[in-house]
Amino acid sequence: MKYGSIPVLLLLALAGCSKSGPSAPSSAPGSSNWPGMEADLERSIKAEPNYYVFKTPADFDRDTKGLKWEDGSDLPPFADPNAKRGGTLNEWLPDFPNTLRTLGPDSNGGFRSLLLDYMALALIDYHPDLPGRCYPELAEAWAADPARKMVFFRLDPDARWSDGVPVTADDFVFTFYMQRSKIVNDPWWNDFMAKTFSGITVYDSHHFAISVVDLRPDYIYRAGNFFPYPKHFFKDFGPGWEQRYNWRVTPTAGAYTILPGDLKQQVSVTLTHVPHWWAENRKFMKGRFNPEKLREIVVHDPDKAFEEFVHGDIDIFSLNDTHLWYDRLSNTSPTVEDGFTVKATAYHQIPPPDFGLWINESKPILSNHDVRLGIQYATDFALACREYFRGDAVQQQTANDGYGWDINPQVHPRPFDPQKARAAFARAGFTVQGPDGILMNAQGQRLSFTITNNYRRYNDLLTILKQQAVMAGLEFNIDTPDSTTAFEICEQKRHEIAFVAFQRTVEMFPRYWEYADGENAYDVPYLPDGSPNPKRKPKPDTNNLTCIAIPALDRIIHAYDHTTTMEQLKPLAAQAEMMIWEDAGWVPGFKLLAYHVGYRPWIKWPSDFAPMQALDFEQYWTMWIDPDEQKADVAAHAAGRDLPKQILVYPEHKEP
Amino acid sequence: MTLSPQTRQQLRRFRSLRRGYWSFIALIAITIAALLAEWIAGHRALLVHYRGHWYVPVYGAIHPGRDFGLPYEYETDYRALQARFRSTHSGNWLVMPPVPYGPNEDCYLGQSYQPRPPSAAERHFLGTDQLNRDILARLLYGLRNCLVFALGYLVFVYAIAIALGCAMGYFGGTFDLFSQRLIEIWSLLPFLLVVIIVRASLPEGTHFGLGLLLAIVVVFGWTSLTYYVRTVTYREKARDYVAAAQVQGAGTARIIFRHILPNVLSLLVTFLPFTAAAAISSLTALDYLGFGLPPPMPSWGELLREGTANLDAPWIVASAFTALSVVLILITFVGEAIREAFDPKKFTFYR
Repeated sequence: MKYGSIPVLLLLALAGCSKSGPSAPSSAPGSSNWPGMEADLERSIKAEPNYYVFKTPADFDRDTKGLKWEDGSDLPPFADPNAKRGGTLNEWLPDFPNTLRTLGPDSNGGFRSLLLDYMALALIDYHPDLPGRCYPELAEAWAADPARKMVFFRLDPDARWSDGVPVTADDFVFTFYMQRSKIVNDPWWNDFMAKTFSGITVYDSHHFAISVVDLRPDYIYRAGNFFPYPKHFFKDFGPGWEQRYNWRVTPTAGAYTILPGDLKQQVSVTLTHVPHWWAENRKFMKGRFNPEKLREIVVHDPDKAFEEFVHGDIDIFSLNDTHLWYDRLSNTSPTVEDGFTVKATAYHQIPPPDFGLWINESKPILSNHDVRLGIQYATDFALACREYFRGDAVQQQTANDGYGWDINPQVHPRPFDPQKARAAFARAGFTVQGPDGILMNAQGQRLSFTITNNYRRYNDLLTILKQQAVMAGLEFNIDTPDSTTAFEICEQKRHEIAFVAFQRTVEMFPRYWEYADGENAYDVPYLPDGSPNPKRKPKPDTNNLTCIAIPALDRIIHAYDHTTTMEQLKPLAAQAEMMIWEDAGWVPGFKLLAYHVGYRPWIKWPSDFAPMQALDFEQYWTMWIDPDEQKADVAAHAAGRDLPKQILVYPEHKEP
Repeated sequence: MTLSPQTRQQLRRFRSLRRGYWSFIALIAITIAALLAEWIAGHRALLVHYRGHWYVPVYGAIHPGRDFGLPYEYETDYRALQARFRSTHSGNWLVMPPVPYGPNEDCYLGQSYQPRPPSAAERHFLGTDQLNRDILARLLYGLRNCLVFALGYLVFVYAIAIALGCAMGYFGGTFDLFSQRLIEIWSLLPFLLVVIIVRASLPEGTHFGLGLLLAIVVVFGWTSLTYYVRTVTYREKARDYVAAAQVQGAGTARIIFRHILPNVLSLLVTFLPFTAAAAISSLTALDYLGFGLPPPMPSWGELLREGTANLDAPWIVASAFTALSVVLILITFVGEAIREAFDPKKFTFYR
């Protein structure tokens, strides 16, 4: 053992070296001649006078003259205003966070939602019950000027960081500077900032405007759904800031912060409600962020976490796993029978992750349209939805369901039909059935493809698809490497068929360029005359996993990406959707219509459980704890008395 | 084949060790059952009599449904066909295996996927798993995979260990020194990590199956046995008979293969069962962790994992655990008996 530990120590030492070495990108100035954040910010502002524009308060009135101001006062709140504040909610984390930063390397972990995505406040956000409408968070009001591609904001004068410092326009300027700088070491943000914003104009500490690059139909949201960072806290920003800020708690304008000592390495993280939170009584904040403390316990094994939930150490548990919901925590299991666990099903309407089979059209046999068509008919997702998910899932209709409007009512998934599949395969030359029941062509090639599976938990689902495909003379080989490797294979376009999904956020309209544009399929997709380039190579690191490349579709996508209103956009989306369907490169997979949650009876919810477009039960933090009931329930449970059995369904947000 | 009196003595001794001997018989029976698995559990009929023709679908190419007048091209559903034959009284008949389910077959197609408890009436003697597959069939075919894997493992590991171990022990010196260091470094590589890396760096189109898995496990499994072989060779080399052979002018190969190797044999035979057990355990462990055989290949590790994740369906974990324990215990008993029977001290004159 003694000797065995030597190489481990060596490795650690090496890792340590690489970390303490210069980690800033080469373009960043070395730490020795780094002038400090303030000076560098000053320099950036001076270097780009057209990007960072400073004007006077008088200019604000002039610039916003005639614009219509909005403040969300015509929209209803979406939480329950009678919710009670206080109590502790115990949840679990699968991993201890790698960092408390929400920018830079390693900051994209699951814990980020508790620091940023579900917690921090932007200027405005989508109203989760009214698609396309925005409600104010840090902004008091906003006004859009499409002619100049600008959105003007009046900051809420009460907005404060959790350390008491007011939120000002300076913080926004700083955030622009930081997220655009190479020093932040976060290429995704660099790219996002460059593609989304074209400048910020400051009038005074609480009045400013954000300019956008494109006037898409949702440009107001894009300009305003922007999380600022507190400038005064990042005075040590500079090369190597990642290490310095790994474990510093960034002041937040949101409701929860981490107090000193509440970060127990590898054990738990506790978030505490900010005392006298500035937004406590704002219309869209009232009734949200109710528990006084959120205790996040680290449990590496989901099975163990589930046991801890049943035991009572964890108060709330996502039960979307079919097997958990129907078998392990069945309606007759003891903890449900005695009322200590409430089971709830809530419907929501969101763009689902695009689970499905992504057929790589750059591969020899799969480039044949009839083969792809055959695979569509040979894939029985319907059976999986019905029996594997026990009806909780349905097959996706289009490549872009859930955007609140039917993109193309004529597009439906092709049904499972071995006869039609065999007919399509026969057109592609696969006519002879081999001794194992798999079709072959005249060259003796078998109709056999490997599915690169990105999710070990869906091995069973793919086994069902494999078993059904044999009926059509098609063989699927399931390959499930670890998830990082699997995604690497897909991104390098080395897969034949990928089973994978991209997470999507709630937006007004889908994205086509990333998934379906020829530019993202091959290095040089077409010859000058528009025909496919015979020497083209699949382009790595893009989301076009089917390698679909059709010049006509590219033109539609280009036009789509330059539309400014939904009326212009919708017909183009319908056309794009139809072409993607005809191409048959993506076999529509399943989508869950509702989410299942288990929780203790003293946790209370609004009458619709959570808003319509909530991704999950905690995105908007609308639940609360009833302290009196908690006391009574805990006492009753300890005494062995049964509580009322509760199995609840919230169908309010079911799609019609 | 003539056996040396010593070997005959050893075999007699082995037979007299009752526990090991009967374990050996049981192991042979289990192996035969695994080899003839199709006759015990399978979705294919053993024999079909249809319109005066005889069919033996149990081996060979599939029979599409139309061979038996059914309207589909894929493999015949023999259980449905049997029911049809019985209901029509057409004089056609077929014989199914005692467990009429294949290892990868969804026995309740169109019904929900959930484990079903054992039922003799349904002929699911050990119940079904969460994909409605018969557990007994999966155990049986999984055992076959295990045995094939263990056999391949033994052949390759022994070949490497004998070649390298004898060479190290016989030549000694610098070669031995370098090989030892190589083995030390090699055995410190984190095995699981290497499995992941190898999978990630497979060239396009390589199918990750039993063969590749065997190669990886062998590449990491040969070191300890090589060390043992080296030690025994080292010891034997110092004996007088080797010196005598050298004096008589025997070549290196002759000395190693004719003189030393037979004396190392007892060690090799003794390690045989334990090495086989190690092979089965590592395959099961890899499957359990999800780095083993690709789904839906039947494997014990996968069944164990499914069982531990479905403790509300205890028949899964109980079947897998019992099967694994029984086989490993039998192998260990056989191993103990072999060790005792081949113990050189037993027959030495210097007692």
